[in-house]
Amino acid sequence: MLNPVDHSPASRRDQFKAAVGNVAGERRRKQAIIIGKERRDAVVRAKRMRRADDNDEGMMYDEPFSDKIINEETVRAVQELKFLFSSSSKDSSQKKIEALRKLRRLLSCSSNPPVASAVEAGVVPILVKCLEFGSSDEQLVEAAWSLTNIASGDSELTLAILPALPLLIAHLGERSAAPVAEQCAWAVGNVAGEGEQARDLLSSQGALLPLAKLLLLNKPMLVKTAAWALSNIIKGPSSKAAVELFKVDGLSEAIIRHLTKGDEELVVEIAWVVVYITSLAESQTKLLIKSGLLPPLVAWLSSSESLSLLTPVLRSVGNLVAGDNSNTDALLDAAKDLPGGLFGCLVRCLGSEHRTLQKEAAWTVSNIVAGSLQHKQLVFGSRVVPTLLHLLATSTFDVRKEAAFALGNLSVMPAGESQLPQPIMEHLSMLVERGCLPGFINLVKSPDLEASRLGLQFLELVLRGLPNGQGSKLVEKEEGLAALEVLEYHDNDDLRSMANELIDKYYGEDYGLEEEYGPGIAEVVRGGEEYPSWRKGWVVNS
Amino acid sequence: MALEVTQILLNAQSPDGSVRKQAEESLKQFQEQNAAGFLLSLAHELANNDKPAESRRLAGLVLKNSLDAKDAARKAELAQAWTALNESVKGQIKSALMSTLSSNIIDARHTSSQVIAKVSAIELPQGQWPELIGILLANMSGTGAEHPAHLKQATLETLGYVCEEVSANVLAQDQVNAILTAVVQGMNIAETNNDIRLAATQALYNALGFAHSNFENSMERDYLMRVVCEATQCPDKRVRQAAFECLVSISSTYYEKLAPYMQDVFAITSKAVREDEEPVALQAIEFWSSICDEEIEIQEEYGSDFTGDSEVQYFKFVKQALPALVPLLLETLTKQEEDQDQEDAWNLAMAGGTCLGLVARAVGDDIVPLVVPYVQDNIAKPDWRCREAATYAFGSILEGPSVEQLTPLVNHALAFMLNAMKDENNQVKDTTAWTLGRIFEFLHGPNIEVPVITPNNLPQILAVLLEKISDSPNVAEKVCGALYLLAQGYEDSGSSSPLSPFLQSIIQALLVTTDREDAGDSRLRASAYETLNEIVRCSTEDTAPVIAQLLPVIMQKLNSTLDMQLNSSDDREKQNEVQALLCGVLQVIVQKLGSSEATKHVILQCADQMMAMFLRIFASRNATVHEEAMLAIGALAYVTGSDFSKYMQEFYQYLQMGLQNFEEYQVCSITVGVVGDICRALDEKILPYCDGIMAQLLQNLSSNQLHRSVKPPIFSCFGDIALAIGEQFARYLAMAMPMLQGAAQLSAQAVSQDEEMIEYYNQLRIGILEAYSGIFQGFKNKRPDLMAPYALHILQFLESIYVDTYRDEAVTKAAVGVLGDLADTLGPSASSLLKNSTFYKGFLDTCQQSDDQSLKETADWALATINRLLTT
Repeated sequence: MLNPVDHSPASRRDQFKAAVGNVAGERRRKQAIIIGKERRDAVVRAKRMRRADDNDEGMMYDEPFSDKIINEETVRAVQELKFLFSSSSKDSSQKKIEALRKLRRLLSCSSNPPVASAVEAGVVPILVKCLEFGSSDEQLVEAAWSLTNIASGDSELTLAILPALPLLIAHLGERSAAPVAEQCAWAVGNVAGEGEQARDLLSSQGALLPLAKLLLLNKPMLVKTAAWALSNIIKGPSSKAAVELFKVDGLSEAIIRHLTKGDEELVVEIAWVVVYITSLAESQTKLLIKSGLLPPLVAWLSSSESLSLLTPVLRSVGNLVAGDNSNTDALLDAAKDLPGGLFGCLVRCLGSEHRTLQKEAAWTVSNIVAGSLQHKQLVFGSRVVPTLLHLLATSTFDVRKEAAFALGNLSVMPAGESQLPQPIMEHLSMLVERGCLPGFINLVKSPDLEASRLGLQFLELVLRGLPNGQGSKLVEKEEGLAALEVLEYHDNDDLRSMANELIDKYYGEDYGLEEEYGPGIAEVVRGGEEYPSWRKGWVVNS
Repeated sequence: MALEVTQILLNAQSPDGSVRKQAEESLKQFQEQNAAGFLLSLAHELANNDKPAESRRLAGLVLKNSLDAKDAARKAELAQAWTALNESVKGQIKSALMSTLSSNIIDARHTSSQVIAKVSAIELPQGQWPELIGILLANMSGTGAEHPAHLKQATLETLGYVCEEVSANVLAQDQVNAILTAVVQGMNIAETNNDIRLAATQALYNALGFAHSNFENSMERDYLMRVVCEATQCPDKRVRQAAFECLVSISSTYYEKLAPYMQDVFAITSKAVREDEEPVALQAIEFWSSICDEEIEIQEEYGSDFTGDSEVQYFKFVKQALPALVPLLLETLTKQEEDQDQEDAWNLAMAGGTCLGLVARAVGDDIVPLVVPYVQDNIAKPDWRCREAATYAFGSILEGPSVEQLTPLVNHALAFMLNAMKDENNQVKDTTAWTLGRIFEFLHGPNIEVPVITPNNLPQILAVLLEKISDSPNVAEKVCGALYLLAQGYEDSGSSSPLSPFLQSIIQALLVTTDREDAGDSRLRASAYETLNEIVRCSTEDTAPVIAQLLPVIMQKLNSTLDMQLNSSDDREKQNEVQALLCGVLQVIVQKLGSSEATKHVILQCADQMMAMFLRIFASRNATVHEEAMLAIGALAYVTGSDFSKYMQEFYQYLQMGLQNFEEYQVCSITVGVVGDICRALDEKILPYCDGIMAQLLQNLSSNQLHRSVKPPIFSCFGDIALAIGEQFARYLAMAMPMLQGAAQLSAQAVSQDEEMIEYYNQLRIGILEAYSGIFQGFKNKRPDLMAPYALHILQFLESIYVDTYRDEAVTKAAVGVLGDLADTLGPSASSLLKNSTFYKGFLDTCQQSDDQSLKETADWALATINRLLTT
């Protein structure tokens, strides 16, 4: 019979000087299973991609689908280029361009372009050579295109094109032909997509201003690509790039102009630039507002049907209202002639079929109602409230959570001196009457700590706020007490103590304490500080 | 109802086999005829002080085995049977058990404690037996006359077992508090009876997991810690050991609460390490190892960027204790045993070295200046203990400190180490070889900028290793380990490896080693073969001919095992071990040579012979051999492609056998994988065997006895089969779809915070999704209509995955693939469904923004497929 306390320490710790055979065999068997899985994935992938090609014209290698052939072909293409661009070669520039084009086509084909083989075969130095000043535009475009495709792969491969950056950036300038500048912007944008370090590197190599200057032009395709690349660079988290942008004269006006008159695709890219400016750079945001940012923004919000356009526009509006309250006033004013005003636009998004829009819109509302009392009252009187209540009752979890933040913020006075948030009685009792309690109680039960805390804070408000102890009856009736009791044993200290506090305070001090407790233990359960720390930060919306 | 069972129970322990067998038979019969009476009789036997101790002990044991089993399904059955018993019978059994706690016979008390815990494990979670804790606690109060010491001892033991059996949420906080109060009283220094103190301390060990809220409160925590620390000073060494075990457990469970006590705990542990008896000293070292584990984990999880308001608390206890802790651990290193080359040896020196290794990982560079002088002082001393300890210390700190710190040291030490391989002492050589392995593991490889191993010293290193591989088995085993890690560092060397010139002689030396008479010692044979595998795996194309020459040698060796003379069970065991290892080598060679067009023919030439041997090997009944042979066959099928069909007729029966092996479920699992390999190799040629395979797979899915980890791969295997046989899969649809739907529902309902379950459900989903993808793709051209009835359900399943916050990346990828496959296969008939279900837009939208390139591509493809469908 085994003793439950295992007294052999050897079994507790693996042998430090263990024999290699044991681990190695295990590792080898696992490896064999992984290989099987990879082969299955390859079969499935190949079938899918082959089908995707049915309708696409001009795929060079669709049947039979073989990565191997393409890779070999690619290595050959790189060798050929190496030869053509070596000093001993006397071949014509036309031949060079053809070879470059062939490479570019290879790098554009299939789901799994042979980028790694190309890099390994040493393609980057040749492409850099192709970018040298004085090369024909056609050659520049082809080389930049290949670099673009290389930079769209894994991060290792993206970083492989770093030696080409100075020349790519040089060709962004005004004197370049539009197709050249556009292709270079595209490549630069791909590199920027790689992450913060890559973005910093691009900024330090001076990519920012030439890209920003491209926005001043009136060439939609070029502006679109430049805006996209730019938005990739200014993503943050540092605001430096977003601020520096404004060194370019006339940038604000250009942004507004494209936002107002551009085609939908262009507006999308410009709107993403606006998203990062509004989230990172406050005084530049003011500048944009002054130049007339708000009217086109709310106009799109009120009329567009496109998810890809609404997403950045709504995010920008959300960023604005998260700033100071005057932004909200300005938005209200800009939207006053639109159907339903600003709130009408937001209700449209809240009612959208796209979950991401619902969520962003609820987040936006929660920021508006975290502001002044007047804003809270305005929202309270609008159609936003019934829509939020509907979402809280029926939507998916993440949307419900945002809706709850909004409704919660709507129910309390702006944060004042006092520790405890004060309820706005009219709002609170009406929301409870319209049935918001079950929604919050559901959140209490959620495994998500933040949601659970939010639910608890709202229950606390109801318990404390509603007169004549109404709150405790209502909460119990909606099975909120049961939800609280579950939390009494929650792993999380905050939640547990919040739940205990509420039960003690509103459902009898001795609730849950049995006779058998020793005196010391009862002290522990009841004890604790007078003002639990969780009451701070009630209206803080993360 | 109770029957006299004493004699039967005594007979069941008789040395006479036939008497024993008959008694066991009667017990079984009794149990089958009248389960309630049987259990009651056992309980009465256990409780009856007039009965012999032997029959009482066995009665308790049988009773315990009627309540619990290792196997989960059996365990659930037993619990159900107990719950179904008549209330009054259960009541009588329980009161008999409780009364046994006051018996004078220690065995009876002990057995009863365990049985009570097993009953509590069934009843407490269902809210039954609420009075149990109260009754037990009542035993603890009162004077010695009312409640004798041995009752208190047994009660504490019972409380400990109960805490071990039930999970924390089953007991109410008030019960936990009362248990802790009783336990702590029993541990108190005022308790003069050491048996009680021991039982209490062991009970606390089990109850610690319940004490979270008590550890939150500083007064209670202080008190608990004081009592535990006091118990480490008890005159009884059993209590001291148990108290240190409590400290070890506290160090991992309540790390963030330990700061105020660390100074005292350091004093206590260092005194114990230096002065106490070994079992106690080992636990004191274990405390520091455990603190290192915590701090290593914190660093791994949160990296080096700790900010003031970080949620985790990281106290750097190890770093603070370093100046005193390192000398303490170094002292232990010279306390080796003479013969510690035994495989499972564990003593002060080994524990100290292990802890030193963890300290190095926890503090990095800081340890180097504290250890290097010790190494320098001792490494050349005449006493072998000093030399071994110095080498062990050096080897221990090679993981943790930066490469920049270590490289100059290792450059300096390498020649010395190579020389020390010729030391006169076996243990010094053993540890030196291990240290060389650690050098290769941490300071050699493609990521090391300034390599320690250079073309200049490599020949000498290999000369020493290949000479010393013929030393005693323990040293030879460590040499294998070093060669393994050396080869691994040259993985991905391109077309030629620095090892290439030496490959032939390394392989030769390893083969000689596997043939040594004493290769069974120190796991030498297994290590030599696995090292050979790694050498093959990491070899480069310039040495392919050498590997090709190795193939017939290994085949010859395997062949000779088949006709081995077996005179004893030892012989059979050895045959099994060698066959498994050789199959492993073949698997690796087949994979290596089969993956390149240039060398594939080598495998194809030998395929018939290899397959014939594998088939003969299946005659053995050993699980490991089957596993390895299956893996080798899977690798072979990939190389032969559809030609594998010629082996199927003979191989099929073993495939079935593997699929039926529920007991050794790893065999079953690997066989399922091999079915997939074969599907990919044979394509539609697998059809004749599919009826049998599918029938068996379906049966496996419905079985409770099969380990659950095999089920997800079975679903994936459905996908493999469907991909291979296309529309022919239609005939299995009626059986397979309900299984898939059932499993899909199960995985979607799962709201669990248990990480292991979340992981399992994710695996299950991947399996289901891979099945759907395979079936859709298989039906695409000829019978797309067949899947239409299931489309709605599948979409709902996909939506449930979309909204689940716990889904992992692999599930997402598979789900997006199925979404596209569904649209691609069903075509227009899916368009109205897709129009009505909007979730897919959000889903694909999220995926298109992923950083994972292949997820993005799959999402692009799926969206394009759906859009094409909806616009035409």
